[in-house]
Amino acid sequence: MKKIIKILKNSIFRICVGGVLFVAAILAHGFGMRSFALGLDVAALLISGTPVFIDAIRGILRRDLLDEKFLMSVASVGAFFINEWSEGVAVMLFFLVGETFEKMAVKRSRSSIRSLMSIRPDEAVLLTAEGEVTVDADDVKVGDVIIIRSGERVPVDCEVLFGAADADSSSMTGEALPVSVKAGDSLDSGIVIINGMLRCRCIRPAESSAASRILELVECANETKSKEENFITKFSHFYTPIVVGCAILLAILLPIFKITTVDDAVRRALMFLVISCPCALVISVPMAFFGGIGGAASRGILFKGGNVFSKVARLDTVAFDKTGTLTNGNFKVRGVIPYGVDKNTVIEYAAAAEQGSNHPIAKAVAAMRPRAKAPEFVKELTGEGIIASIDGHTVAAGNSALMRRVNVDPPKNPRGTVLVALDGVLIGELIISDKIKPEAKEALESLTALGVKRLAIISGDRKDNVKAVANNLSLSEIYYELTPEQKYEKLRELISASRSTAFVGDGINDAPSLASADVGIAMGGIGQDSAIEAADLVLMTDNLAKIPEAVRLARKTVGIAKFNIFFALGVKLSILVLGALGITGMWLAVFADVGVAVLAILNSMRTLIFRKNPYR
Amino acid sequence: MKFRFNITGLDCPNCAAKLAARIEAKDGITAAKINFLTEKLTVESDLPEADVIAIARAEALAFEDGITVE
Repeated sequence: MKKIIKILKNSIFRICVGGVLFVAAILAHGFGMRSFALGLDVAALLISGTPVFIDAIRGILRRDLLDEKFLMSVASVGAFFINEWSEGVAVMLFFLVGETFEKMAVKRSRSSIRSLMSIRPDEAVLLTAEGEVTVDADDVKVGDVIIIRSGERVPVDCEVLFGAADADSSSMTGEALPVSVKAGDSLDSGIVIINGMLRCRCIRPAESSAASRILELVECANETKSKEENFITKFSHFYTPIVVGCAILLAILLPIFKITTVDDAVRRALMFLVISCPCALVISVPMAFFGGIGGAASRGILFKGGNVFSKVARLDTVAFDKTGTLTNGNFKVRGVIPYGVDKNTVIEYAAAAEQGSNHPIAKAVAAMRPRAKAPEFVKELTGEGIIASIDGHTVAAGNSALMRRVNVDPPKNPRGTVLVALDGVLIGELIISDKIKPEAKEALESLTALGVKRLAIISGDRKDNVKAVANNLSLSEIYYELTPEQKYEKLRELISASRSTAFVGDGINDAPSLASADVGIAMGGIGQDSAIEAADLVLMTDNLAKIPEAVRLARKTVGIAKFNIFFALGVKLSILVLGALGITGMWLAVFADVGVAVLAILNSMRTLIFRKNPYR
Repeated sequence: MKFRFNITGLDCPNCAAKLAARIEAKDGITAAKINFLTEKLTVESDLPEADVIAIARAEALAFEDGITVE
């Protein structure tokens, strides 16, 4: 019995049997067997429509007379009362066919987006005292040692203990080039090991590892609605009652004014009921953004909500932080200016003094002489530099403030970043700079070509260093030597003068700026919690080319969403007009409902095709 | 507390929104949202998880055939 009910519920079975009976009824009608045809039509309607009628009764019970199933039932049964039997059956059949297609299309879209996002492996190979054990990735604890072989995905964020391998992070970052990893490197979960074998120690459990966090971000992204989605949701609230109201008016007014017969007026009214369902509208827009979020995520660009797309699409101002954003954050000593001693002496003492520090500039200086003498005494003064004692000499290496502290007159316009004093005498300056990222020039030019008018650099660094970066890039304005508060103020100025402003930072110390920009873009992955919290767009790599790519993706997605709105509304409205005039049949009305939904869903999937046409 | 469930078998996003509104109207439920595309039901409530899921299931049953909440 249960099996029979299951078959009767199957929509494909219902469509087939209903369809056969429908055709038989038309033939019977052609041969003049009217009552036989009516019997076939009633049977066709009952077999195909019963589950819809049941849902309609549920709708009545919860006093929802604008329920889609209820409206469809009224339309198809109503057609029987005006002796349009085959129309009545056709409405139900087309509705079922359309719904089946719609379900298939949604299912396909869901699975294609999910497969883009299948970056979280379920299992991990744990190394225990008894040997290798395959466990659920969720059961791996911090400190556990796991084995990852070629072809496998990294199950949890971990640190490589032993082994070397090439790793492919393309499904996480969109970067096609594999990177080599060795002992001491840390690995994000979701990365695929191409060849080699690694023994790693888990540093974060699966639930807080990179892959899980990306997935969570992508899933939550769907919850922030775009302008277009809000519009269509609001619109649909009014749409159905208005169309149903019009249907009632048509049925009453047309016969009163003797424009047409009662039967024809009812027919037109029933058609309105069929078109009144808002589903095609309601699904067309979110589907586009859903696809856009999934497609972008597979390219290493994480949009944090549907609303971000339209802001990114309209960008006309982009402000960049300098260090780690336009430059790669690797400081190098590019020049030495000695005062009365030879260059080597300056380097020797500076490197010896700075070797113990973790400051990126100090590291650059220390890198000049890897085997510098060990100082007897070191004192680091945050924001100024280092005082050390080497071979009985006092060495100070730092900025002008440090020089004044050790009673040395700094030069009026120092050219270097680090001033070096030996026993109270200035012996030289070190010019230290950062390298501009190789893709920076092209990325900025692409942004200009995409219509971004103002490209600004907002930096706390010294004028010379900022200008050196700006001269090599096509930036429209540069702001330098700013305190963090001044940076923020500058950004506010840019925001108030623009349509949509993005701030690009590496997420370290710039959370307020990321949060206040229309679009906060955090580069370099999902490591920094504060940055992800504050940003609207997270780039999985620090590759600047991802920014113009994000703009193109956003424009494409917004374009598709808008097209879907116009298409769905346009088709529905024109069929409403034709229906009111009595020109179209009811089956076309069904197409306007479900057919449009299917086409809109398919159109939305174009947001994923971007993947196959990579930028450049 | 915020609970997240998988919800499958919904027909269309419009029905999803209606069902969410019905769950939200229940006593003890602060907010309910259904994401049709990711098939996720998010409920905010002070009730224990078992009660929340029972409410969601009862509403789904009264709504349409074949909806599962887990």
